[in-house]
Amino acid sequence: MIRFEKVTKSYAGPDKPALNQVTINVDKGEFVFLVGASGSGKSTALRLLLREMRPTTGRVYVAGKEINRLATWKVPRLRRQIGTVFQDFRLLQNKNVSENVAFALQVIGRSGRDIKRTVPETLELVGLSDKANRMPEELSGGEQQRVAIARAMVNHPMILIADEPTGNLDPATSVGIMKLLDRINATGTTVLMATHDHGVVDQMRKRVIELDHGRVVRDEATGVYGFQH
Amino acid sequence: MQLRHVSTNLRQGLRRNASMHLAVVLTLFVSLSLAGIGLMMSKQAELTVDVIGSELQIQVVLCLPDDPQNASCTSEVTEEQKSAIATAIDDNPEVADFTFETKAESLEKLKALLGPEQFEGPDPVFTVEDAPQAVRITLKDPNDFDGTVDAVANLDGVSYITLAKDEVKPIFTLIDVLQYSSWGAAAALLLASILLVANTIRLTALARRKEIEIMRLVGASRIFIALPFLLEALVTALLGVALAVGAVAAFTQFALIGGLSEVVRALPFIGWAEWAETSLVLVVVAPILTVVPTLLLTRKYLRL
Repeated sequence: MIRFEKVTKSYAGPDKPALNQVTINVDKGEFVFLVGASGSGKSTALRLLLREMRPTTGRVYVAGKEINRLATWKVPRLRRQIGTVFQDFRLLQNKNVSENVAFALQVIGRSGRDIKRTVPETLELVGLSDKANRMPEELSGGEQQRVAIARAMVNHPMILIADEPTGNLDPATSVGIMKLLDRINATGTTVLMATHDHGVVDQMRKRVIELDHGRVVRDEATGVYGFQH
Repeated sequence: MQLRHVSTNLRQGLRRNASMHLAVVLTLFVSLSLAGIGLMMSKQAELTVDVIGSELQIQVVLCLPDDPQNASCTSEVTEEQKSAIATAIDDNPEVADFTFETKAESLEKLKALLGPEQFEGPDPVFTVEDAPQAVRITLKDPNDFDGTVDAVANLDGVSYITLAKDEVKPIFTLIDVLQYSSWGAAAALLLASILLVANTIRLTALARRKEIEIMRLVGASRIFIALPFLLEALVTALLGVALAVGAVAAFTQFALIGGLSEVVRALPFIGWAEWAETSLVLVVVAPILTVVPTLLLTRKYLRL
């Protein structure tokens, strides 16, 4: 589903490359944690996957397609196959829960009937059916993250990318979010989650890929956050 | 739903930056009005040249029987005399081109200059018999005319010579001043409009950056993201055009049709046909002037 083939990404300046000869293969339906210290290259990997930039060398594949060779006008179509969730939720404060989720469908041109049917289904999936008309400021952090997940999932993407989704949440709320992501993964969605959250990684016992200074230093099928000694 | 989303965004954008949009509309209105007046003036110059000749021209008026302008003319100019005049003009190196004007053509020009009233009715002041034949000479340089005047002034059949340079120069100077000052001011103001459009788009993009980021992430196409911005620019452009077209119409009605043409009877003035042509130019040019910088800017701010 996702393949990085000897990917190197260098930014302008004398710094070492953000990613250095990285090769990763993620199969359809896998749940993968991407761990590593700040500056290890996690966010660069996610940005390459969204085609926000191109690798300096190497190839990135999504669903068998080499996305760095994708024409710019085809990039939106790629992104419709990838849902994204961030640490800071990125909800629109002037729209209620339902409108925030619907927004993701409106802007890709889905019909009103389609939106009316899909949004309540997705809110039910994330457990927010009773809060459809609430404004983001009326919700807790965990609930806001659920709205962000609903927005990411409403278009039924093949891949869900989560960049520190529990970074702003307390441990108890984080567990709830992880259960939700696990449930989404169980429906066949590939989940790639960048995180610093030891507890979450250790508890889930999923595949762990660790980056350090732009290199893959560990890839374990059922890993924990740090090296197991 | 897409249309509703675009129209909602358009409304919000126009409301959010209302003062900036008003500034764009007013600047566009003034600059396009001046550009329109400049265009009208150039059309006025063309019309004036058509009727009274450019300053490059010399008019050699030929003899009439009992010519009131020249006592030595006793009869209508003959074909032999005309042939001698043509040869003298043709041989002169100062001459770029020349044409003979018949009595009928000469009468038409007089009609255009003086108005048709004196040429109509049972007892007209002028008839075709009163209109002199003439030669219109176009010079290579309006200041080099001595040789031509000397060559033809004393030939038989020539009644008198008029130098368009002397007669039309003040008129053309006035038209040129109006035309170029309108265009100069219009150019400066159009530049200001473009910069204002650019700033407005920048502000709108800044105000909506979170929304735009989400749109990019969920896979909205570039045209869908840029459409509200383009429509905002287009709406302001059209408002500016509408006001400018109105202002040029007011100029046509009050300054030309009901103003100068009533006072300066000797000159023909442009009217509604030229206003329509000018308006068409403004309608085409203004949206280009606002939409193109918007497109360039949205490329920068709304890149995928």
